[in-house]
Amino acid sequence: MSLLTISNLTKRYRRGGKTIAAVDDVSFHIDPGETLALAGPSGSGKSTIARLVLRLIESDAGRIEFEGNDFLALGGAALRARRARLQMVFQDPLAAFNPRATVARMLDDPLRIHGIASRAERPRRIAALLERVGLTTDLAPRAIHEISGGQRQRVAIARAIATKPSLIVLDEAVSALDVSVRGQILELLLDLQRQEQIAYLFISHDLGVVRAIAHRVVLLEAGQLAESGDAHAVIDAPQSAIGKALVAAAPRLNRTRP
Amino acid sequence: MTALASLRDLTVTYRRDGNEVAALRRINLDIVAGERLAIIGESGSGKSTLALAIAGLLPRSARIEGRIDWFLPSSGAKSPPSVLPDISPSRGEIGSSTAGSPIASSAIGETRNEGAISPLEGEMSGRTEGGAKDRQPSTIARDYKPLGGRDIGFVFQDPSASLDPVMAVGKQIAEVARTHLGLTWPQAYAKAKSLLERVRLPDPDSALQSFPHQLSGGQKQRVAIAAAIAASPKLLIADEATSALDTIVQAEIVALIRRLVAEDGMTLLFISHDIALAAELAERIAVFRHGELLELGTTAQIVGAPTQAYTRTLLDAHIGLDAAPLLSRAGLNA
Repeated sequence: MSLLTISNLTKRYRRGGKTIAAVDDVSFHIDPGETLALAGPSGSGKSTIARLVLRLIESDAGRIEFEGNDFLALGGAALRARRARLQMVFQDPLAAFNPRATVARMLDDPLRIHGIASRAERPRRIAALLERVGLTTDLAPRAIHEISGGQRQRVAIARAIATKPSLIVLDEAVSALDVSVRGQILELLLDLQRQEQIAYLFISHDLGVVRAIAHRVVLLEAGQLAESGDAHAVIDAPQSAIGKALVAAAPRLNRTRP
Repeated sequence: MTALASLRDLTVTYRRDGNEVAALRRINLDIVAGERLAIIGESGSGKSTLALAIAGLLPRSARIEGRIDWFLPSSGAKSPPSVLPDISPSRGEIGSSTAGSPIASSAIGETRNEGAISPLEGEMSGRTEGGAKDRQPSTIARDYKPLGGRDIGFVFQDPSASLDPVMAVGKQIAEVARTHLGLTWPQAYAKAKSLLERVRLPDPDSALQSFPHQLSGGQKQRVAIAAAIAASPKLLIADEATSALDTIVQAEIVALIRRLVAEDGMTLLFISHDIALAAELAERIAVFRHGELLELGTTAQIVGAPTQAYTRTLLDAHIGLDAAPLLSRAGLNA
């Protein structure tokens, strides 16, 4: 059974008297432990889909089924409880987090709010989370703004896995990192997926990264699904116009010109 | 090979929380006139500091040691061939020259504390003469220095920060042409329109009247490029100018920069964290790490036979469309 099933999802915005469909009748599913990538140019609707799935914004039409439940019908306490299973990591953790909060505080919040660990137990759980993402426990008292970008994204991942989610939405989560750090974060994500069977909705404009990490890919253009399938098959031989344009535009080391 | 600018023992130190942080350490580098040179590095490598130092846009709180010698052809005159000036061993000097002959250098080694300006404020050097000029070391006579906007065009990463949000883009470009080319406003607006055509902005007539927020990210970067080249600078510096754009728009902007540089015979300094992107555009690549120039060579040398392990690491970290998958694809039938 699918972990997440999106059916005919639609989100419209009104701009200057005109209605624009940011997401237009999009359907796809994600299996448990699978990485599905959403790729497309700016304005193709990939981040809007992420926000719809997280219910940070509400859709105009369509269904979202998550772990066998009608996710859009949930509200109040039931939605909050279900949200523990559906986590997120954004591009810039410095913008997503209170920069003056400590690393320990960032990890304490989900454990406390979702009632995962008692007050006495939490410091031990925080230490275990830090070690799980490859950080040392002496980072716990440091402020978010004091640590490096790579460390910050590891903290964001630790916070996401604190509630034992079955799905993490990764919205350009490695796009702002230095290339040497990016590889390490991708390895960490793959390791977590293998160990904990976490599924990822991996949003990126970088087809090289998508091809390296995703099982399947959905290509979007102007809010609509342009093409989907096995990540290698789609990227190695794209059929849609946008797929061909994205592949042609990707920088290649072996295409050096005179 | 004629040098446009020659950096000798260039060292830049920032003061932060009472500590001195060396952002660049003893950089020796010749920028060849007419070349496309890429500066590659990760966060903290000093690549943006180098761009700001060359453009004379460093904050006043930065301490600059070493020399930058310029060989700007004065109007009409050609630069004499390649003899580099005798480099005086004295440190703490920046010299400049016109028409190839080194002219008096001025000591600027002392720290200037008054009115620190963050380099992150992202002012577009092309737009106002004053903004760039105020940052020039006061001890340097203006005649000897390349002037931001006129001699050097600068394109920053975030065009939303470098364009004035409440001024029509036509005026922002025309202002550069008026300031540096001595045009009247009607002439400057005509120039702005032709520049918008050159950067292939759709419907240049209405674009002249539009405000930055009405344009897409790629269109804004085209406007920023139009303003940067308005006064026909000798050197165009693009500092992560495509990093905030999606892949397709990035490729379009890179193609635009390549075309404009070729058409105008400009020298290009292309600052990027993306070695593959740099390799597609540049003839030479300089690899920076922790404020030091690690390796400099032709693109073929750097990509094909790097001498430094770190360069190899950067090349290996590139995840291209032909990279081996990180994912073990067995075991999950998607």
